[in-house]
Order: sequence, then structure tokens, then C-alpha cells
Amino acid sequence: MIKNDYIPFSSKILEVIQHTDIEYTFRMEYQGDVKPGQFFEVSIPKYGEAPISVSGIGKNHIDLTIRRVGRVTTEVFERYVGDSLLLRGPYGNGFNLSDYIGKDLIIMAGGTGLSPVRGVIDYFFHHPEQRGHMTLISGFKTPNDILFRSDLKQWSANMDVILTVDYAEEDTPYHVGLVTQYIPQIQLGNVTNTAAIVVGPPAMMRFSVQGLLGIGLPEENIWISQERKMCCGLGKCGHCKVGDTYICLDGPVFNYTKGKFLVD
Amino acid sequence: MDINTKALKKNAFRITKERGLTASRIRVPGGHLDAKYLGEIQRIAETFGNGTVHITSRQGFEIPGIPFEKIPEVNKALQGLIDGLEINQEELNGGYPASGTRNITACIGNRVCPFACYDTTSFAKKIEKAVFPNDLHFKIALTGCPNDCVKVRMHDFGIMGMTLPQLETDRCVSCGACVKACKKKSVEALKSVNYRPQRDERRCIGCGECVLNCPNAAWTRSKTKYYRLTLFGRTGKKNPRLGEDFIKWADEDSIIKIILNTYDYVKEYIDPSAPGGKEHIGYIVDRTGFEEFKRWALRDVTLPEIAEVMTPMYWKGIKY
Amino acid sequence: MGFHVNNTVLNTIFETWQTEYNIYAPRKYPDGGRFSDTDCIRYGKIDTAEEIIFDKKSEYSFKEFLTPVSQTLFFFTEGETKEADIPQRKAIIFLRSCDLHALKRLDDMYLCNGPADYYYSRLRENIKIVLMGCEHSFENCFCVSMGTNRSSNYDMSIDRQADGTYLIDCKDADWEKQFAAAGCVQQEVSPSYVTENSITVTVPENLTAEAAGSKMWDDYDSRCINCGRCNFVCPTCTCFTMQDLFYSENGKAGERRRVWASCMVDGFTDVAGGGSCRQKNGQRMRFKVLHKVLDYKQRNGYHMCVGCGRCDDICPEYISFSNCVNRLQDAIMEVKQND
Repeated sequence: MIKNDYIPFSSKILEVIQHTDIEYTFRMEYQGDVKPGQFFEVSIPKYGEAPISVSGIGKNHIDLTIRRVGRVTTEVFERYVGDSLLLRGPYGNGFNLSDYIGKDLIIMAGGTGLSPVRGVIDYFFHHPEQRGHMTLISGFKTPNDILFRSDLKQWSANMDVILTVDYAEEDTPYHVGLVTQYIPQIQLGNVTNTAAIVVGPPAMMRFSVQGLLGIGLPEENIWISQERKMCCGLGKCGHCKVGDTYICLDGPVFNYTKGKFLVD
Repeated sequence: MDINTKALKKNAFRITKERGLTASRIRVPGGHLDAKYLGEIQRIAETFGNGTVHITSRQGFEIPGIPFEKIPEVNKALQGLIDGLEINQEELNGGYPASGTRNITACIGNRVCPFACYDTTSFAKKIEKAVFPNDLHFKIALTGCPNDCVKVRMHDFGIMGMTLPQLETDRCVSCGACVKACKKKSVEALKSVNYRPQRDERRCIGCGECVLNCPNAAWTRSKTKYYRLTLFGRTGKKNPRLGEDFIKWADEDSIIKIILNTYDYVKEYIDPSAPGGKEHIGYIVDRTGFEEFKRWALRDVTLPEIAEVMTPMYWKGIKY
Repeated sequence: MGFHVNNTVLNTIFETWQTEYNIYAPRKYPDGGRFSDTDCIRYGKIDTAEEIIFDKKSEYSFKEFLTPVSQTLFFFTEGETKEADIPQRKAIIFLRSCDLHALKRLDDMYLCNGPADYYYSRLRENIKIVLMGCEHSFENCFCVSMGTNRSSNYDMSIDRQADGTYLIDCKDADWEKQFAAAGCVQQEVSPSYVTENSITVTVPENLTAEAAGSKMWDDYDSRCINCGRCNFVCPTCTCFTMQDLFYSENGKAGERRRVWASCMVDGFTDVAGGGSCRQKNGQRMRFKVLHKVLDYKQRNGYHMCVGCGRCDDICPEYISFSNCVNRLQDAIMEVKQND
């Protein structure tokens, strides 16, 4: 008998971490294989499902960083520790850590784009011996939108962390400007042995990739993660299809050599 | 020249501004005819008239410039048209037996128009069969849908097609096309509830936009055809007014019966001194009160269960 | 084995099938058309053979029996979920060769693209297929161009003869016994099929996604009204959207269902927070057309479109998919020249 992949399982909220007014991380009870960059369909009956990428992985939990922008996520924000959410997944390919091991690593994240790569950053923060020099350029709209503040501080212990905001009042402690402006500050080694991950809004990804290509990174050393409307996560509903590619099955993480051909 | 103008007018000819010349008025119930009859009209106009034809505001033809003495010949020449258009007649080759009840007009209807909710010409012909000939001044018009291209509200009886939309909920794809069409083109009788359209029965005017716009045949038309009946719109010198709704979701038979009942009512109450025996029905209703009219009109009428009868009715209109 | 069967015998055999199966076939829905006093020919349950419409194309396809327009996946009460029941009855589906080829596409999408779909497979396991022969091509058909004009993977084929009798080729062993037992005359039968259509479609050999860059799509920005009829009638379109609902505002019970979706209709790509792709109708047309004749093949090795022409039949704006495909050769040339 074929497995019914549509029936969700119930998962308890272990902890809620508030980043901003509209972005919280829900630490969910979960045991099982999961990779950074993969996603779960999170649902609350009556309100529907929403695909949410895994922003952290623990032994008995996963983190789901959720932005309150729609019907489902608004309702999720009404829940608290001890309540449950319904989950299906994990779906998608996720980041393959082996692609980055032994290399210099550049990670560029725009806004909530930091969530799917957080697991990668965390891994290489804890295993600096498995990589070369590492740079994180993390951009947000304003200082009020910054996510994972304590992580960003912690990570800077063994990697270059450039935290930038698009707009800020004067005398802000943060860099101001788009993430692409800080590409020249990357301490660049041998480009052929440098890998980059770019995640964020479409325009941010496009310009960031251009910038990285501009400083000599080969296309095949760049990875991106795509976001699309998804209703099933199973390659059936068709909403996330781009050309011959199903983001939910073949992605959401793509090597740029493949990702660059995705025309919506 | 000695001619009975009353008899001439009853025979569907006109007293014109030119002495001795008349015009023949041809009725085309439902405004649709086989093209071959245009040839006959042409022949009459060229043989007896001045070679021109006027297309009337009531979808008939008027052939002007006919000398009075040609009337018998014209009546004979009209026989093909009268037979072909199935006009009730009293005397073969005698032309039209009456002119008071005017040609029954109709929009092109569902023979051609996608919006129309019924075959307007067929219904018009059915009414013509039931009411003609009659000397009373009745104006009846039929339009296929609430777009009212015929402007039925300018007539004594306005008949507007309606369909009662049926929703097969499990065929609905929640695309919102019906809700959007109803809002933008009609009366906003639909709203989306639980991803599916919910119809406000009170608001719905049965226009069928939901059916036309549904991409998945979730909305379909009712097998039964329904009509809105509007009453006593009129133009004219005294007090023009638009017809008001009388019955929503009426059926064909009831409408015919109501019209026939109204003839009885008018015969009973018409002002005997009305010039030319013509009085707009609305004036009579103003005199007798609406309830008396309604009592006559609905005699032996069995309306469909869903029919809504508006009562009392009030007319607005220009008053000089 | 082939049989010559009369109507009475066929109906008697239908009766025996109907103890276990629902029979679905193109049938007439009187006054079921969009316009008043028009009928609709579409799929539905039939009782007798006379109800089956052989001389017209069905407006919608058979796919609704395998991928219901609206399909409940499970019910929920606070914290509990209960899977929707399996339909009790099996299905016999009458369809034409193009649609039988479409069934392969549905199978590949639902059973092979990613994990096999539970709800599809439990319906799929319980159907039998009766192929309706095509004596002639209908308006807008281009099955020959798509190579879908012949099929042999049926349980039975049926051709209605001018005298109201039927020629049947039976591959199902049980059914074959029934026809033989009913005393039907055995004869060599092969289902009729068309060898040419008045419309020919040529998918350019050198077609690539670069055709997306052509100006030809702009034509459809204003011509197309993004109603989605083309998707809903298509036997190969499979997209759906999830819906959650409660049976009443205060109730605790509800369901999650999936409902057909269309890549032409607004909202198909909307993500929470407001982003969307392909806002112009021409771009949606491009997405659909290239899926049917390019990128599906890149993924599955054969074209998605089966050439039934239903999209052309139904388009209220008279946009022809087949004509659009035939414009692709020029589009490729145009894009190459611009490079």
C-alpha cells in the first residue's frame, strides 16, 4: 500500500524565540533525518498549510522561523509552548554539507533567507576545521528586522560576519547598505576552492550572484535556494514548477549552473 | 374623398400629413423574420408607395406614400407577410385586423446572443397569438436578460429573461470568476464563503453571468426559464415613467395570463372618453388603485413557488 | 477477441458490470450548456449504452474520475485527523485514444513525479478502460501530430455502428466470457482510429526554453482573459491547490481538500506576503504551452499534450493552442536572431 503523504503529524512547540514583531522561531519537537535547506509543510486545521524552511536542527527538535505574512502564519503566532502544530516533511533536497567541506565559504543572506542557511552556518561554526575562511554577509531592511541576533554575535567568533541593514538612523552600530556593497570586503582566497551560498529575495539573489561572479567565483561554486508557492511538497500540485524543474523535488537548493536557467 | 379614418387606422394604416396618402404598418412580432419577406416589403413599397420604407421604433416596417385607393390592393399584397409571420387575421386579404395593441418587440434573444436567457422571438410570437388582434393600446416588449437592450421598462409590459443559477459545488474550482463577474457586471449577489460562491437570493437578478463565466460548468442554468415582469413604463406627453418590477421569477404561462387579464381590466376601467380609445394603462391604474389592478391581473394565475410579487408598487416619473 | 454486439445484449452486460462498477462515459447534459437552450457533452455516470455520446467530443475530459475536481483528503477535529474514505465502487471509463494517452501522463505525474500519490493510486487501481474508436476526427483534434491517435492498452474497445450495433474488441478475460456466453457473433475487430486531422501541429525539433523570450507571447496579454478553461478541460493538466475549511464558523470539525488549479488563473503563483510570478496573461500562456510541448518532455521523455484540442474548443476568446504551437518555429528564429 502506498503511503499517504498528505496526513500531517502533530508536533509540540518546545520554545518560541521572538526575533522581531513579525518573525518568531518555533522550536518543534522532531526526531528524524533532516538537512538545512529542507522545508516542512506547517499547518493548522482551518487555516491551511505553508511551506517553512528548517532554520535549525537539534537532536530532538527542529527550528522553524516563521514570518507572519499570511493566513496560516498569523494563526501560528497565536500558538505557544505546549501547543502543537501539524507538520509534513521534510521536503526538498536541502544543502549538502559535503559540497562545502574543505573550502573557503561565502554565505550571503537577505532577510529571512538567513533561516535556510542557518543550519549550514551553525555546522561550520562548530566545525571550523572542516572549512577554510568563512564570510557571512547578512542583510536586513532595518535594525528592527534583524534575525538571530545572538547567533550572529556568536558566529563572529570564528568567521567574518558582516551585518548590514538597508536603512537606519544615523549612528547605527550596523553597516548600512545592500549586501552586494560588501562583496569587495570578502577576504578572497583561491576562487576555485571557494564555495558560496546565496539565499534571499529574487532581486537580492540575482545581484549577489552577479557580484560573486564578478569577483571570479565559477558558476559551479555558487548555490542558491528558491522560494515558490507550494501546496504539496510532493511534486504533484504544480505550483512550484519552473520549466522542467519542480522546486519542491529538485530544489529548493540549486547549484547556480542549474538555477540560472530557471525562468518562471 | 370619403374615408372612415377610424376603420383605416384599425386596419393598420396611418393618417399622414399628406392628404390622400397613407402608410401601411407591418408588424413583425419578436422582430425576427425570414429574409425573403424583405423582398415582399420592397415590392409593396415600390408598387404602391413612394419606394421608401421606414424601420419603425417597434421593430416593424412602415411603407409611406400609399394612395388611399390602393389600400385594398396593399392588403392583398400583405397576405404573404401576414401568413408567413403567423399574424392572427379575421378576413383573408383584408390586411391587419387591429392596430391598438402594438407590435411585440424583442431583442435578438438566445437564437444569437450568449447573454439571453430564452428565445425572445418565440415567446413574443406566443404572446402575439394570445393577444392579437386587439384595439386596446398595449405595448409589450421582451428582452433576453437584465441588460435590457430592448428597454422593456418603457413598455406597459416588460419581460426580462432570468435563469436561476444552479451550483454543483463539487465542480467549483474556487477561481472566483463568478464572484468577480457578478460584482463587476451585475449586482454583487455572490460572495466567497469557504472558497465557494454563496448566492444572495434576494439580490440575484438571474442574469446568468455566473454561468457564463464559470470555467468548469459548476454553475449551470435552471432547466425552467424565469422572467421578471415590469409594469407600465411609458413615454408620452403627460407623465413619462419607467416600468417598475411587478414579479420576479415569473413563468411564461403566468405572464400571458396576466396580460390577458389586464385586457379585461382595461375594458372595465378605461376612460370612455379617452381620445381615440387610447389611454395608457398606468393612468387607469392611478385611478383605480394598484390593488384593484392586481386583483384583476392575478386572477387564476398560479405563479411558481419562488416567484416574488412586489406590492404595493410605486412609480416615479417626470411630471409637468 | 472481437464481437458484434447488439444494444440489448450490451445493456444486459452493463447491468452485470453495474453491480460492482459505475460506468462513466461522455453523455449529454440537456440544457447544461453555458448558453441558454444548449446542451453540454461531458463525462458522467451512465446507465445504458444509448446514453453514450459517440458523435461529439466531450467538452471536459475523463480526468475528474481519477483526479476529482474537489477531493477531500482528510477530516479533522481539534488535534485529530481522519483519512477520507475510499470510494466504494470501482469505475469503468469510456474514453478515446487521445484520452487513453492522457491517462499515461496522469500516471506519470501522480505515480512517478516524486512519491506515488496515495489518493490517485487508490482510484487508479480500481478502473477498467473501454476505448471508444474514432471513425473521424473532430474539429480542433490534432492527435495524429502528437502520436496519440492509436491505443492498444484497453480492457475493451467499442465502435458504434450506423445500425446501432457495436463492434467490440475484448481483452478482459471475464468480459470476453460474458460476450461469448451471451451468444455474440465472434469476428475480427480492431478499434477504428483516425489517420489524419485537418489540423497539423509541428513542435520544432530545436525548441528550447529560450522561446520564452519571443515577442509572440505578448499577443496573448490582451487576447487571453485568464479564465483557465483550457486547463480545466485538458486531460493532462493536473495542478491543484489545498483548501482547509471548517463546516461552520464555530464548529470544530472540518476538512482538508485539494481542488483543481489553473496556471492561467490569478493567484496560481502567489506566495504569502505578496510575491507572484507571471502576472501577464501572455507569460502564463507561454508557461502552459512550453509545459505541454517542451519541458514535460525534458523531464519525462515524451510530450504532455495529447492533441485532443479541447482547449481550442472551449476558449471563449478563440485562442488556438495548436496555432500557438505552430508559431513556435518563428519564435525560435526570432529569439536566435536577437542573440
